[in-house]
Amino acid sequence: MPTKSLLIYVGGRLLQAVPIMFVIILINFALIHAAPGDPVDILIGGADATPEYIEGLRREFGLDQPLWQQFVTYISKIVQFDLGYSLRYREPVLSLILGRMPATLLLMGTALFFSSLIGILLGVFAARRPYSVGDYTATFVSLAGYSMPVFWLGQIMLVIFALHLAWFPTQGMYSLRAPSQGFGRILDVAHHLVLPAITYSFYHLALIYRLTRIKMQEVLALDFITTARAKGVAEGRVVYRHALRNAILPVVTVIGLNFGFMLAGSVLTETVFAWPGMGRLLYEAVGARDYPVLMGLFTVLSVMVICANVITDVVYALVDPRVVYR
Amino acid sequence: MIARLRTIAIASAVFAAFSVGVPPAEAQTPKRGGTLIVALENEPQALAPHLTTDTPTFTTVSNVYNTLVLLDEKLGIIPDLAKSWTVSPDGLVYTFEIVENAKWHDGKPLTSDDVEYSFNELISKNHPRAGTWWNNVASAKATGKYTFVFTLKAPYVPFLSVLASPLASGAFIMPKHVYEGKDPKTNAANQAPIGSGPFKFVRWQRGSHVELVRNDQYWKEGKPYLDRLVLQIMPDAAARFLAFERGEVDFLHWYIVPYDQVAKLRKDKRFQLLSRGDAAGTNGLMLMNHRHSVLKNVKVRQALAHAINRETINQRALFGEAKVARSHVSSNVAWAFTDEYDYKLDPALANKLLDEAGFPRGADGKRFPLRLFWAAGRDYEGRGAEIIKDNLRDLGIDVTVQVFDRASFTDRVFRQWEFDLAMQLFTTGPDPTFAVTARYHTKQILKVPFVNGMGYSNPEVDAIFDTEFKEADVAKRAAMWRDIQKILMHDLPALPLFELPAIHAASAKFKDVVTGPQGYIESRESAYEIK
Repeated sequence: MPTKSLLIYVGGRLLQAVPIMFVIILINFALIHAAPGDPVDILIGGADATPEYIEGLRREFGLDQPLWQQFVTYISKIVQFDLGYSLRYREPVLSLILGRMPATLLLMGTALFFSSLIGILLGVFAARRPYSVGDYTATFVSLAGYSMPVFWLGQIMLVIFALHLAWFPTQGMYSLRAPSQGFGRILDVAHHLVLPAITYSFYHLALIYRLTRIKMQEVLALDFITTARAKGVAEGRVVYRHALRNAILPVVTVIGLNFGFMLAGSVLTETVFAWPGMGRLLYEAVGARDYPVLMGLFTVLSVMVICANVITDVVYALVDPRVVYR
Repeated sequence: MIARLRTIAIASAVFAAFSVGVPPAEAQTPKRGGTLIVALENEPQALAPHLTTDTPTFTTVSNVYNTLVLLDEKLGIIPDLAKSWTVSPDGLVYTFEIVENAKWHDGKPLTSDDVEYSFNELISKNHPRAGTWWNNVASAKATGKYTFVFTLKAPYVPFLSVLASPLASGAFIMPKHVYEGKDPKTNAANQAPIGSGPFKFVRWQRGSHVELVRNDQYWKEGKPYLDRLVLQIMPDAAARFLAFERGEVDFLHWYIVPYDQVAKLRKDKRFQLLSRGDAAGTNGLMLMNHRHSVLKNVKVRQALAHAINRETINQRALFGEAKVARSHVSSNVAWAFTDEYDYKLDPALANKLLDEAGFPRGADGKRFPLRLFWAAGRDYEGRGAEIIKDNLRDLGIDVTVQVFDRASFTDRVFRQWEFDLAMQLFTTGPDPTFAVTARYHTKQILKVPFVNGMGYSNPEVDAIFDTEFKEADVAKRAAMWRDIQKILMHDLPALPLFELPAIHAASAKFKDVVTGPQGYIESRESAYEIK
C-alpha cells in the first residue's frame, strides 16, 4: 500500500469533515437549546434568588443574547479551539473534558479491546462447530449480556462480585482510604477497572461475536477454503489466515464505530461505578443544562466518530490488500 | 422593646470538655488518626461558598472554612470564629469579638479585615441568596483588629440564624489576601481553597474525590482528630449504598440515606444512625396552582387536604421513617410550630366540600381532571404521587401523574407556572422568616425557582410576614407565626405532606461524625475513629 496516496486520502477525509462538523454543531446547538429547563435555575439551586441576581447571571454567561448571536459567538470561538466556559463549574470546558478523558479512554479502551478479542475468538470457535453445545452456550451468554441494560447488569455485578464475594471494590477508580504509589497504584486502578470494564464488555462482545460467527460461517463454506483444505493446509492456518482475514472486514467496521461511540456507551457504566470519566460529565451536564459543556462533549464526540471512521478505513487497507486508496 | 444586652462567653470545645462533666458512657478520649470517607451525591460546583447554594460544595468547604457562629441542636446560636457577641438594645448593632489565634492555611493571621472583606465584597455581591437578607444590612465594618460590627437598617431578629446557616447565606469567612484584587468568580482559590478550618485542601480529583488533610495549626486546640478527610463522588444511589454496606465509604448524609434501608441499618451493628436536631426542617409538600380554574376555589383545596391520606404516604412512600407534616412550618422549628390547624382525613367531608364548591360528580362519577408533576430523583415523591392519585380517584378526580427531569420540572412549575399540582420539598428552618416567608409572600410571585410559583396571595398574611421579624420577644413572635400558619393552613397554597427526618448513616467505627443540626454540611472537626 503506497503511503503517499494514503496520506492524501486521510487528508481529504479530514477536510470533508469540516462542513460536517459545522452542521453537527448547528444541530447540537439547536437541540440543546430546544430542551426545556434553564441552566440558571440549576446554578442557584434550592435558593430563592432575586430576579436581579438571576438577570446578572444571564448577562455574565451571555444567555441574555438572542440565540443566533449566541451561536455566532460559539462558532467564532470554536474555530480557535475555545470550547467556552462551564456554567456549572466556572472552568474552561476544554480543560474539564481533557481532565476526564483519560479515565474514559482507559475504561472503554480496555473494554472494547478485550470484548473485541474475545468476541472474535468465540465467533471463530462457534463458526467451526455450528449448532454444537458450545455454539449455543456462547450465543445464549452473549445475547443475555446484550439484552441486559448496563445499569442493571452493573448493579448485579456489584451485588455478586463486590458485596457478596468482595473480590472487587464498588466505586471509583482508586482506593481512597490508603492511597498507593507507583506500581501499587497501577494494580489498584486495574482492580477498580475490572467490574466496569466487564459490564460494558458484555454488550460489545455480543455484537462482535454474532457478526464474526455469521461471516466466518459464510466464508468457511466458500470454494477457496475447500481448495486450501484439499491442498493440505493446516486447519489452524485455513481458519485464521484464509477465512478470518476475509470475514473480519465488517467486524472491523463495527469495532471502529463502537470506538467512536464510546462516550455515549460510557454514560451509564461510569455513573453506576462512579468512574470519573467523560460519560459522567455528560450526565451531570444534561442535568444541569450546562450548555457549553454539552456542546463541547458533543463536539468531541463528533470528532471521535469522524476519526474512528478514518482510522477504520486505514485499518481496512492493512487487513485487506484489495483495498486501495486513491 | 425590652432593652437587652446579651453576651455569650467563650465556649470553645476544649474548654467545654474540661469544665462540663462528660457522661461516663461517652468518656472516651478522642484519638488522633484515621481517614473518614464521606459520600457526595454529586461533584461540587466549585469549592467557593460565595458563589453557590450547591450542597456538595458546602459539605466539602465547611471543613476548610469557618463561619462566625453556628447552630446547636436546639437551633440556638453558638460560637465559631466569633467567641462572643452583643446585640444593642434597639436590635440594630451586632458586635462580634473574633478569636485571636485563627490562622489561614498559608500561615497568615485571620482578622476582622477578612470578615469585612468576606461580607462586603464576596458574599453580598455574589451569593445567590444575598438578596434575601443583605438588604437588612446598613453596614459591615471591622472596628478593631478582632472586632467586627454589623449595623442593620431595621431590627431583623433572624439575623444570627442567617449567619449560622451557611447554606442559606454563604456566610463563610474567606481570606482577603487571596481574593483581593481578583475576580471572585474566577479566582484559583475557588477550586483550591485556602481556609482557616480544621482541614486543609490537598486535591480535587475531578469526577472522583476531594482530599483534605488535618490542619495541625487549627485554632481550636486539639482538633481535628482525623488525619484525612476524603469526600468521594458517588452519583448512583444504589451503588453508593452498596459501597456503604461494604465499608468503602463511612458516611451518608441524611438525604442520600435511602428510607427503605433505614430499618435494616438500625439493626446492623456495623452501622449507626445519627440525628442531632435538624436546622433545615424540610417538608414535602404538594403545591397547588392558584391560577387553575378549579384549584383557585379554596373549598377544592381543602377537600384535597381532607382526602389525601398522609399517614399512608409516610408508611408506604417513606417506610414510616418520616412524620406527617401538619403545618407549613416543621415541628423541628419548635418555637414557631403549631399543628392546631391541620386537616383530618375525612373523605366524606371532602366529597361534600367539592359538591358545595360547584363540582358535582358527572354521570360517570367523575368531577374534573388534574395533573400532578414530580421530578425524578426522589423516589418517595413518586410513590407519594401515586398514593395521592389513588386517594383522589375515590373523590371523582382523575389525576394524571407525570414525571420530569429536575431541570424541566423546575422550568414548568416555577417559570412557566404550567402545572396543577406538584411535589416539592421546601425547607422551613432554621428560622421561618427566611425559609417560609419567601415561598408564600405576594411579592414572591416571581418567575424564579422555589418561590411563590403557586400564585398565592393574601394581604392579611403578607402583613404579618412584613412585621414578625422585627419582634424580639420570642413569645410574641411565636404568636405571630401561629397566625401565619392558621392563614396558610386555611388557604392552602400547598398541602404539607411529610416532614423528612434528618437521619444520617455512619460506620460504627467513628464517633461524633454529626454534632449539630446541619449534619450534612457540618465540619468533621469533632469526628474520630474508635479502635
